[in-house]
Amino acid sequence: QLVSALHSLTRHVVYRGWTRAEDILALFPENFHQNLKNLLTKIILENVSAWRSEAQASQISLPRLVDVDWRVDIQTASDSISRMAVPTCLLQLKIQEDVALCGDNPVVSALTVELSKETLDTMLEGLGRIRDQLSAVANK
Amino acid sequence: SSQQFSALTEVLFRFLMEPKEVERFLTQLSDFATMNKISLGPLKNIVKSILLVPNGALKRNLSSEQVRADFIALGLSEEKASYFAEQWKVNSPTLTRLAVGQTLMINQLIDMEWKFGVTAGSSELEKVGSIFLQLKLVIKKGSQTENVYVELTLPQFYSFLHEMERVKTSLESFS
Repeated sequence: QLVSALHSLTRHVVYRGWTRAEDILALFPENFHQNLKNLLTKIILENVSAWRSEAQASQISLPRLVDVDWRVDIQTASDSISRMAVPTCLLQLKIQEDVALCGDNPVVSALTVELSKETLDTMLEGLGRIRDQLSAVANK
Repeated sequence: SSQQFSALTEVLFRFLMEPKEVERFLTQLSDFATMNKISLGPLKNIVKSILLVPNGALKRNLSSEQVRADFIALGLSEEKASYFAEQWKVNSPTLTRLAVGQTLMINQLIDMEWKFGVTAGSSELEKVGSIFLQLKLVIKKGSQTENVYVELTLPQFYSFLHEMERVKTSLESFS
């Protein structure tokens, strides 16, 4: 019962995002033991930001990008043409399924995509537009 | 006659440049047949054999002299062979590009869509205010397309952009 009560208390503090001692102290009932109240508040305050980050990291989301690797190949021949020198890019994205669903066993899948130079240019154009839109939002 | 030959060559090259326009090619062939009072069947067979030469030439990266020599070896008159070789020289860059474009690609990226927004709150945190970016990548797997959804944080996005710019520099140094 004690553990459950502590759990509710910490969850509540994290949920409300309180960072000041007064807000947390106000939660305790009036006749609560003074030193215990202060000790608990101190411990909670120390951990609140770590708990918040963890909650944010484990919130529901679409599959998340975990890692990006790439390599550039030069294609020298194919069945339709015996001699060529075409650079292409292989991009590998490591994607982790919804953290909330996986719990302790994260499911990470690797997606390998082939990009021609034209595709890469178009993609960079799109990424550039995202960056511009992001800075426009940030500057508002 | 040489006029008929050049008209036929034109039809052939137009088809080679746009191999998907099969119907148009067949219509033009039958028009040619009616105009010149040849029956379509034998014309189609002749055209099939003629098309073997440019396709083989493309595979083996033949020069226009070699194409001309091939045609003469097959029994075509010198004049016609030279004309065809000329047309070949003019059109081969485009044809080569088409052939390279047909090279198989694994999991080709066809399209990318995105949206970004702000996470306002969650069941664990009342007020959040963090920015997320969601990408939808459309990938061609064999003959089907697959949609892949990925979420990135802002720092991840910037490092992804940086990596892609590095790829572009690398690709450009090899072209």
